[in-house]
Amino acid sequence: MSQVTKPVADRLLGIVLIGLAAFVAVQAINLEVPFSYEPVGPRAFPLGLSILLAGLSLVLIFKPGADGEWPHKALAIRLLLVLGLLLAYAMLFTGLGFIPTSLMVVAALARLFGASNGKALITGVLLSAGSYVLFTEGLGIALPTGTWLAAFI
Amino acid sequence: MFDFLIEGFGVALTPLNLGLAFLGALLGTLFGALPGIGPINGIAILMPLAYTLGLPAESALILLAGIYTGAEYGGRMSSILLNVPGDAGAVMTTLDGHPLAKKGLAGPALGLSAVSSFVGATIAIIGLTLFAPLLAEVAVMFGPAEFFALMVFAFSSMSVMMGKDPIKTAIGAVLGVLIATVGVDSGTGVMRYTFGMPELYDGIDFVVMIIGLFAISEILLMLEHAHRKDGDGELPPLGRVFVSLKEVLYCKGAMWRSGLLGFIIGVLPGTGASVAGAVSYTTEKRLSDKEGTFGKGDMRGLAAPEAANNAAAAGSFVPMLTLGIPGSGTTAVLLGALMLYNITPGPMMFTERPEVAGGLIASLYIGNIVLLALNLPLAGVFARVLTIPRWVLVPAIAILAFVGVYQLHSDLTAIYLMLLIGVFGYLLRKLGFSLAPVILGYVLGGLMEQNLRRALSISGGDVDILWQSGISLGLWIAAAALLVLPWLVPKLLAARTRRHAG
Repeated sequence: MSQVTKPVADRLLGIVLIGLAAFVAVQAINLEVPFSYEPVGPRAFPLGLSILLAGLSLVLIFKPGADGEWPHKALAIRLLLVLGLLLAYAMLFTGLGFIPTSLMVVAALARLFGASNGKALITGVLLSAGSYVLFTEGLGIALPTGTWLAAFI
Repeated sequence: MFDFLIEGFGVALTPLNLGLAFLGALLGTLFGALPGIGPINGIAILMPLAYTLGLPAESALILLAGIYTGAEYGGRMSSILLNVPGDAGAVMTTLDGHPLAKKGLAGPALGLSAVSSFVGATIAIIGLTLFAPLLAEVAVMFGPAEFFALMVFAFSSMSVMMGKDPIKTAIGAVLGVLIATVGVDSGTGVMRYTFGMPELYDGIDFVVMIIGLFAISEILLMLEHAHRKDGDGELPPLGRVFVSLKEVLYCKGAMWRSGLLGFIIGVLPGTGASVAGAVSYTTEKRLSDKEGTFGKGDMRGLAAPEAANNAAAAGSFVPMLTLGIPGSGTTAVLLGALMLYNITPGPMMFTERPEVAGGLIASLYIGNIVLLALNLPLAGVFARVLTIPRWVLVPAIAILAFVGVYQLHSDLTAIYLMLLIGVFGYLLRKLGFSLAPVILGYVLGGLMEQNLRRALSISGGDVDILWQSGISLGLWIAAAALLVLPWLVPKLLAARTRRHAG
């Protein structure tokens, strides 16, 4: 698909944005507004924005710019891996606790960004332990110690 | 009339604030020098941590302003040494900076850019001191209608000046304003776009927004360069570390011209360091490039954009402090930071909170001297930061982002939202959007709606109020002219040359 010379991305974006504008407008119209003495109310501003957005998107559809460089397959997979890692970081953050979660995520991220296994592991240990000390001792931030582990004990 | 400055120095010279200005300058330079982290990312990542220190508003602002100006200093390192601009403002620095480094003059080039940054910033801070109180006096006359017109002007000036694609700049700003409408409507108490999620009732948190938009999207973007050689250990030799007085004097014309130009460009809302760098470089080239040495390592070609982009960085404080309209994406972040302290920057700040306005301006003077003192002898040390590999940098950013958002409310929803906004920011950047308009729209959106509704409440719904005063009418005309002229002028010129040819 990368050989396609017609600028597809901007046209697609324009269509998505018009959809967004329509959604914003419908949501604004459906707002139940209590009686107030204010002449404008909460609907007008988002409605105006949605009209503006739709207009700008139309320009984008009819005069699209060149397609940017999009990730090839290998990069797209790594992109999803990084996103998955960040998501896992979020899901385990409180349950498993800051230090073990950070250690694993940092090591895996370092590996994905080109470190060797050994270097990735050392980075994980140093960064997770170091940042824990810095945040809790230095800045007084309470970091999660892990609720799952506590439940077992 | 300079009472605020005297009071400001009283605030800025306390040991705590002096230390914070130093810390900010140091952290800012380090973060600015890190590959791929510009000033805006640096502030986004460090800001939540500044909050945990529990500082009063003026101290927090002094720290953040130090980070901001420090990052502008640090951004030039990778431009000069690796030919990779640290941020948009440093693009022009590569043109003559990197050829100088290749000639073995990397050390003097770094020194010269520190001196020109200092000169440019000094010109702009003096301009800020003189100009801001005057503008604040005018701005006191602004009512809601004038503020609304001013914001329309700011957005149109931004669409024209910022980025290569005006349509995408405008779309980005609209998206930012739309994000700002999420949450409870202050006028009526109606929930807008919250989809029944209590976490969204207060709107999308500022810290979540900037960390997602800048830090997370940066992580995703860096993946593209993960296996490219980072230039590990490939730094060119620095040569002698100090720049000579003769070299500095050779560039003095370029410095003050560009400093002045940069300040003026920085004051205009929506145009920041990148425009200033480009305009000053081309101006200086036209004025002094008699032997055709620009682009091949001419010292003046390095001094001009460096003086200009630091002058613009300080100049963009003028509209932010006096009108509450940020002049750049980074000052938009600073403005949002102030709002978290329940301070709305604007004309009243000079009279109601002189310790904040004056303290900030005074700390800019101090920070500027600290930066020069740090950067001249320590350039070699800061340059080492460039060799930090991405596989250390990226996980570190991830930790800072997660902890920064988590410590707000000890809440995981905020982290999921941050990741979502990060993906959104990544897609926007891949689609050729610049993120500065989005953040400007997000920061100004709420104020824009409030002012519009306040104006129409005063008039009882009559829209004529929006352009009845001379100030607002002038702003509307200026906004319209900005949008029409770039499209009209080339056509008129073309028609004229055709007539001459015919």
